[in-house]
Amino acid sequence: MKKQTILSLVIATIIVAASSQPAMAYVLLSPRRRWSTTPVSVRVYNVGNSTITDGDGGVTAVVGAIRVWGIISSSTTSSIAVRGTAPATIMLNTNGAICTGSCLAATLTGYYVTQTGDDRIYDADIYTNTAYQYYSSREAGCSGEYDIDGIMAHEVGHVIGIGHSNVSGATMYPSVSACNTGNRTLASDDIAARDDLY
Amino acid sequence: MHRRTLSLMALLLIVSALPLSASQFIEMPFDQVAREAGYVVRGHVVDTFSAWDAGHEVIYTYATVRVQRYFGEATGPDTLVVREVGGTVDGYTQEAIGFPMVRQGEQVVLFLSQWDDSADYRIHGFNQGKFLVRNRDGVEILVEDPVKQGDARMSRDGRFAIEPNADAGLRMDEFAAMVDDARGASETHRRTRQ
Repeated sequence: MKKQTILSLVIATIIVAASSQPAMAYVLLSPRRRWSTTPVSVRVYNVGNSTITDGDGGVTAVVGAIRVWGIISSSTTSSIAVRGTAPATIMLNTNGAICTGSCLAATLTGYYVTQTGDDRIYDADIYTNTAYQYYSSREAGCSGEYDIDGIMAHEVGHVIGIGHSNVSGATMYPSVSACNTGNRTLASDDIAARDDLY
Repeated sequence: MHRRTLSLMALLLIVSALPLSASQFIEMPFDQVAREAGYVVRGHVVDTFSAWDAGHEVIYTYATVRVQRYFGEATGPDTLVVREVGGTVDGYTQEAIGFPMVRQGEQVVLFLSQWDDSADYRIHGFNQGKFLVRNRDGVEILVEDPVKQGDARMSRDGRFAIEPNADAGLRMDEFAAMVDDARGASETHRRTRQ
């Protein structure tokens, strides 16, 4: 291969690498928005996910896992999510007819845009695709399943107004793989995003 | 190098040139998205409107897409209505974070499938099922939409706050060949199974 060709390939690789890792870290949802008060109340519907064999389908595990954000008041509820109306509710047992196919979990959030730019979140509900297999921190072992604690910690990041980070290892990093529990713990980047908003 | 391999590399480049914006989705192979979609269309979004569902719980945006071309073996009507979760009604905005959105005026290529509960169409494979059409030196190029729900908003004049990278695009003819290959393989597979 000619030197010129090799040089071109190297330059192209550098350009692609640079464009895929822009010089930024956490990203807030746009337009910027947050809840009026903290702690933010998030409830977990007490009918859990049938693939999680920890005794209550992951409900207790998720109630605990989402407190990692430090500004979340979590509890169980016997009421299903009412979309468009607070409180924020996590549904582990349904896809809400929106999170199907290749979607693992989805956050549906609602807000009013203000003229002051101080937009407030009014509701955010999370749905889980029940077509996939999950496991929780209250179970031993993992075999090709997705970590419900980490998934919900990530989704609750969206609930409080945070977008995706390009910092690998951050809870708000957008990719997810089976048996990876890394999202259970906040990275400094996640904490910086939270502290930017609240 | 085989043309198909080059096209797949170009597609990979489109995806890798931008940070992944999907919330928590599982990446599907291109061939799977192409095979599973009911229609693969190139079209123009001529109109959009948003409305609450019957239960006043979810806002959907309805996009009228004037179809200019059907890819693969399946063809359909000249106009399709695509319904996606999210939108704004009376100042209240609902977003499914990381989901694709369809905006008026866009030139798009869409993979479409029907909703489970209705005959309406939705983008199949979420962000893997939507491309923007750009023109580069007189050639139509497909690029990933950099603005998903919850991402940086459009500027007031309707332009992107984040511009798609047209240099990392896939040529329309290459894309068409890939869809033909994927859906042709599907047809062959079906015939083999019968």
